[in-house]
Amino acid sequence: MRDGHDEARVLLTVGRLVEPLTGRHWEPPAVAREVSARAARFRRAGLRPGDRVFLHFGNRLEFFAELLAIWRLGAVAVPVDGGLTRVELERLAEVVAPRFSVVDGATDAAVARALPSGVAVVDAAESLPAAEIASDAARPGDDALVLFTSGSSGVPKGVVHTHASLAARWRALERELGLAAYARTLCLLPTHFGHGLICNSLFPWLGGQDLFVTPPFRPDLLIRLGALVDEHRITFLSSVPAVWRLALRVARPPRGGTLRRVHCGSAPLPATVWEGVQGWAGTREVFNTYGLTETGSWVAGTSAGEFTPADGLIGPPWGATLHVRRAADGAACGPGEVGRVWIESPALMRGYLGRDDLTRQAIVDGRFATGDLGLLDERGWLHLRGRERDEINKGGMKIAPAEVDAAAEGCPRVADVCAFAMDDPLYGQNVGLAVALTDRGDAAVRELYAWMRERLSEGKLPARWWLVDAIPRSERGKVNRDGVREACADRPPLDLARIVGER
Amino acid sequence: MRQRHRERVLEFLRTIQKPDRPLDAVAETDSLVESGLIDSLALLEIVTFLEAQYRIDFAAIGLEPEQLTSVSGILDLIEREAR
Repeated sequence: MRDGHDEARVLLTVGRLVEPLTGRHWEPPAVAREVSARAARFRRAGLRPGDRVFLHFGNRLEFFAELLAIWRLGAVAVPVDGGLTRVELERLAEVVAPRFSVVDGATDAAVARALPSGVAVVDAAESLPAAEIASDAARPGDDALVLFTSGSSGVPKGVVHTHASLAARWRALERELGLAAYARTLCLLPTHFGHGLICNSLFPWLGGQDLFVTPPFRPDLLIRLGALVDEHRITFLSSVPAVWRLALRVARPPRGGTLRRVHCGSAPLPATVWEGVQGWAGTREVFNTYGLTETGSWVAGTSAGEFTPADGLIGPPWGATLHVRRAADGAACGPGEVGRVWIESPALMRGYLGRDDLTRQAIVDGRFATGDLGLLDERGWLHLRGRERDEINKGGMKIAPAEVDAAAEGCPRVADVCAFAMDDPLYGQNVGLAVALTDRGDAAVRELYAWMRERLSEGKLPARWWLVDAIPRSERGKVNRDGVREACADRPPLDLARIVGER
Repeated sequence: MRQRHRERVLEFLRTIQKPDRPLDAVAETDSLVESGLIDSLALLEIVTFLEAQYRIDFAAIGLEPEQLTSVSGILDLIEREAR
């Protein structure tokens, strides 16, 4: 797809861009015109190489044109969740220090108020005169993309990828998987997620394949998924297990026989769901994929040889070396022995934005500590066996419980708090919250709820709340989240709808 | 009969709704997702509820999005398909 000195160049061989819901589409020449016009607008407004640009929207044609325009000027794109609260956005702006912020018609007006003065706000919907930007300013080692993940210290971490690391991921995927199956790719995932953006969207599209992009997680779309696949002769789509749990129940299978391959990732895929997707899609090429934002998403998957869906089965690496090492002494585990999973890959992130300390902890001798536990079998295939770190995986969205704790702890009504992962039939996991309040009355619960709403975006808000007298901690002050979860499991949660509804 | 179904559906929706979106403020024809009452994937919980309570076989009947996205759509579906 790319080689040598062209590594950082964008807009080499893009495919068509299509919004199936609206019918809007851009052929490659139209994409080129849009990118040039937007790059010229940024240049006139003073965007320089290395500047960072927030993108507050996604999953539409303009998002991809803005992204490539930013890259052509050597600047850095920072796609963010359009549903962030003002507090979350202010925190990200402190870390990112953006020069520009790109919004669309659906962006909340509060976004502009949350940004520091001096950040120029650009409307992606504004019509622009045609312009020509002759060449790319980006070099392979330049930062290209920052994507935020929930941080275990309570502060979101900005994962920085360079043009070289992204290109390395796409080259590896093309080598391992080819491009033919991705000829007409559907993206249902959010484009501010590594999985949705780097792999589901940009890997096929920047390789010249057509990309069909929809708003993420729309229920009417999932109900019509089979019809959508048929209507647009989709050959490939990727998603997360939570989406498949719904689609398998409500969407009739495609009938056209166009679907050649499906990926599922970002959360554990139960074997029963896996087999269900194979039956629904009419292909055995349903690959359970593994990857993290820090690795440029997909680094392994069930793509080779014969396999039978099994809980935890991933498969061989894709352009990476997988290591499983003992926790005690760091020695390499033998086949079948469970240990910590490390990844070595040219597609690794450059680091966490402004957090060299965290980067040094995460990348040791060029290997990334995933925080996952697993084993390599005799074939070198990866099987996951759990997660070593505190993390709540809500339908593919990774939430650090410490981030939820940190949001609650500032509330004057809170004496102590512990967020934890609880089983959820829909998402796999969801956020539970045990909280000790200074006052157990409903008014205090309402106050804390309002406090949390201001500080956490909707997806991170705890789904179930329990009032407790105290959070048990070790002598070192460490909380045992599993223990708190087990203690809460025997008791009914608060009737939050009644309490909050009584305002 | 529709009123009884309505009460059961609303009672169920109260168990899955977001706390700060009063159910009473959502009109019967409003989209449950677009009004913010539930998130999009919570439709699976509605499907599970209808399968269990009314023995509606979604695999057999097929489904149009409008049938599940509002209270009135759900009630129409129950009246037509409940066994």
